[in-house]
Amino acid sequence: MAITRRQFLKRSGVVAAGSALGPGLFGNPFVRTALSETIGDRYLIVLLLDGGNDGLNTVTPVDNQGGTLRTDYEGWRNTGGGGIRLLPGELAATGIDPDPNTGANLALHPGFIGSGAGAGGLKTLYDLGNVAVVQGCGYPEANLSHAVSSGIWETGDPLGLGIGYGNTGWVGRYLADPSTAYSGTDIPAVNISSSVAPEYRQTGTSVIAVNQLRRFGFPFDKQNDNGTQIQEYEDAFLAIHAEASASAQPSIALAGDAGSATFSASQSYPGLHNLYNTDRAAFEALYPNSSTGKDLKEIAKIIYGVETSQPNIDARHFWLRNGGYDTHSNEGGATGDHANLHNEVASAIKVFWDDITDMGAEDKVCILIWSEFSRRIQQNASGTDHGSQGPMFLIGGKVDGGVYGNHPNIDPAAVDNKPNTIYSQDPIDPFRSTDFRDVYGTVLKHWLNMPGGVILPNVLTLDTGFPVNTYWTTADFDLPLFLP
Amino acid sequence: MGDQNTPLTEADARQMIRRCGFGIPAKDSKKFRVEELAQLTRGEAADLFVDFKPKGFKPKSSEARAAHDKWVKYMFKRKKNLALQEKIVLFLHDHFATNFTDLDARIDSEKTSVRVLAEQNRTLRKNCLGSFKDLVKLINVDVAMMWFLDTVFNKKFEPNENYGRELLELFTLGVKDLNGSENYLQEDVIQVSRAFSGWVDDAFKAGKSFLDPFEHDTTAEFPGRGDKEIFGVTHPTQGHQVGGFVSPQSFIVGGEAENEIDEVVEIIFQHTDTDGENTVARHLTFKLLEYFCYEGPDKATVDAIIASSGFTTTWELKALLREIFVHDIFFETGAAPGASTKKSVRWPIDYVLGTLRALRVQPKGKELQLQGGNFNDVVELLQDMGQVVLEPPSVFGWDWEQAWISSVGLLARYEFVRDVTTSRDSKPFQPEKLIDITLTTAADIVDAVTDQLGVTDQLTAAQRQALIDFVLAGESEPLDLFDVDFREEKLHGLYALVLQSPAVVLY
Repeated sequence: MAITRRQFLKRSGVVAAGSALGPGLFGNPFVRTALSETIGDRYLIVLLLDGGNDGLNTVTPVDNQGGTLRTDYEGWRNTGGGGIRLLPGELAATGIDPDPNTGANLALHPGFIGSGAGAGGLKTLYDLGNVAVVQGCGYPEANLSHAVSSGIWETGDPLGLGIGYGNTGWVGRYLADPSTAYSGTDIPAVNISSSVAPEYRQTGTSVIAVNQLRRFGFPFDKQNDNGTQIQEYEDAFLAIHAEASASAQPSIALAGDAGSATFSASQSYPGLHNLYNTDRAAFEALYPNSSTGKDLKEIAKIIYGVETSQPNIDARHFWLRNGGYDTHSNEGGATGDHANLHNEVASAIKVFWDDITDMGAEDKVCILIWSEFSRRIQQNASGTDHGSQGPMFLIGGKVDGGVYGNHPNIDPAAVDNKPNTIYSQDPIDPFRSTDFRDVYGTVLKHWLNMPGGVILPNVLTLDTGFPVNTYWTTADFDLPLFLP
Repeated sequence: MGDQNTPLTEADARQMIRRCGFGIPAKDSKKFRVEELAQLTRGEAADLFVDFKPKGFKPKSSEARAAHDKWVKYMFKRKKNLALQEKIVLFLHDHFATNFTDLDARIDSEKTSVRVLAEQNRTLRKNCLGSFKDLVKLINVDVAMMWFLDTVFNKKFEPNENYGRELLELFTLGVKDLNGSENYLQEDVIQVSRAFSGWVDDAFKAGKSFLDPFEHDTTAEFPGRGDKEIFGVTHPTQGHQVGGFVSPQSFIVGGEAENEIDEVVEIIFQHTDTDGENTVARHLTFKLLEYFCYEGPDKATVDAIIASSGFTTTWELKALLREIFVHDIFFETGAAPGASTKKSVRWPIDYVLGTLRALRVQPKGKELQLQGGNFNDVVELLQDMGQVVLEPPSVFGWDWEQAWISSVGLLARYEFVRDVTTSRDSKPFQPEKLIDITLTTAADIVDAVTDQLGVTDQLTAAQRQALIDFVLAGESEPLDLFDVDFREEKLHGLYALVLQSPAVVLY
């Protein structure tokens, strides 16, 4: 197939990957028991809004109430001719609970209402009580570089305190921690991507990256198969890689493990495509033909595989991204680029949710949505430059829906000279921010059942916190985001 | 301990060819063949390799794909020590990473973006053996880089720190030194960025840039921004003097004009770390050793190579590379796999082109299309492997080592190998022309194949046995390689197994 320029551009922005280790040992009953005891029968899906999602046009103040949020918002954002302000009338259908601090009424961006088979979008899920909006998530002295700020969120280590974390991510360290009981031969996580996402990087267990399950088969030379060649080839391939895995030299062992795990996954995962398309044809047809729609469908195929106990399928952790949030220009308001992004994500999640609910797995799934930073509160000619803290979302049947955390303070007197909102952990500040690691830690502790004492410091590291450093919180990982 | 007078073994010679190019080509000119190189000392061989006259870069059209394909073609075709040029330029492209997609998004013209990116590539080529300091100065005013890292948007009233930060963080010093101490402070980034304010792309002279004095930040106009000086301040928490200077260094000694950015570079290149060693020299040498040898070289080796090359005086890349190529560390990864043999993962482009070169397979056309079957576009596979040249993912360049061997990346490598070992038309894979087909035992056939690929010493006895078992399964000796069916089933399969194994994926 000839490649078009568009594909060339789109596909080549590939950031590279992580480690993959060892063939599956799921036949071992001990491993199975250990797995289910640790995380329960649950799934975690991490969705990255890549490029820096504009938080102010994601969760927007509709009025002032006890503060000045709406007035301030209107001061920063213009209307008409490149203006990106969302008007109260445009926010009428997507209202959510008020800001805990000022009492200002809030609304989701109207794009979140979704469309097509995903009509209703996140708003419907919010009304069902399945969406937690956590406002003002960030870290002090926001770094405005995509790479650096992404790195901070992915490692979960803003101060670089995590001695020995190396080039690993917060989910990766969770997966690799002895307390999770994943062995080097398990495949507990799948990233819908060309490469393993930085937050899943680790050593010690296996994370596979898959674009399309359908294309994930091992490329045997079927042309020359005389009936036994493939089996002979497999034997030799696995023997060679097992020998490398046994090496005391880590760089050799890693290559052996990666080869074996890739081989093993390539045998068990591609079949999920046909299984799902056959068994769940009605839902298969509903997914929007968008990046998020396609990627969530791949995740649905794997979850369906786990739910129906397909052999060697037990991935519980997933990752996907939606790109395009770097809206320096042409951001738009109720319609336009940013609205389209929200619509795409909301529609895809709604269809996915209907699918998962129909499988009976809605109480087992939690989707965590993040972005490397929010955007400049004052718009430029038609968009916004890089900013500081912004909202995160948690979606799930066991998520205790509502609005958490305070809206960042956008009073002109309270912002920095860029102007961006200022992260604050001062306990007497009514606009006190949320440490993004508190959300991560809460998910680990209350959704994945990891003991707090293990999270700290094995997965996350905190500084000494207030009052030693007024910027920081000693996060307790006990945000009330989940139902019992 | 070896040195430049140590004679090369054949294994060393293979290591030189592999590391200084893209695989071991099935054919090369006499001087660069393994058996000839093995007659030389390390010093003689290193001199032979670094003694080339850099070749330029001219894409066929103003399309991004044409520029990409042209460079890949160079890497594929270059023989002798010119393959080394491509390998060094690839390193520099990763170091001063600039990608077409982001550039095009900013410039909004494919034609212009390709033109300036090609110009940047020519700058890297011309200077790939020359002074690294001069190269940094050229990159400062490189139009592609100026667009990519926002120098063109850095104005006196709207300062932009993007380039200033990356100049310190990526191109010269690194965030932290080899002891983990920070090399510069935010204030340094701000001041360095002032030097670059007002530099713009000359719309009338293609590829040229100049300083617009009306957009240049001066101390007279902005007294509140302090003196234009960097380093020499005590780090607020770490307690050490940043840069090892006795006092902050002014970069306006020659006045407030064009010279500021060169002066900044001069100061940066005098920066010393918390061991009192030159920070730029260590940063670059460390990275080059990771590229040509393995991840995480030790400090003593880094320092020894800097010292013997005189790099901190001349900044000459040629001398630095030569010293790397005669040092023990360069030959370490070539040793047989063992507990202490560090290896590194071959870059996708190296893996793909090295395989094609070793097998003497010539794909057709721009898309490197393998012929004679329903095969994948090699460039598409390279994308899945995570590496398209001229498209590094960000200014941080590619992520090396284990990042290259994700499952998607590995499957793409496996798919490529399957395709290439089953290709038939045009200049197809013809193993019968690569090895002696009168061989009749499985062990001999396996050894002939691994010899031809230059990796016999990279397989353990058990791995060799697994290959022998594969050849023998369902067959009995004497084997007949003249039998086409047998050959296509076993010999092609044998090649594929070796190419997919860690012996070739790593080096």
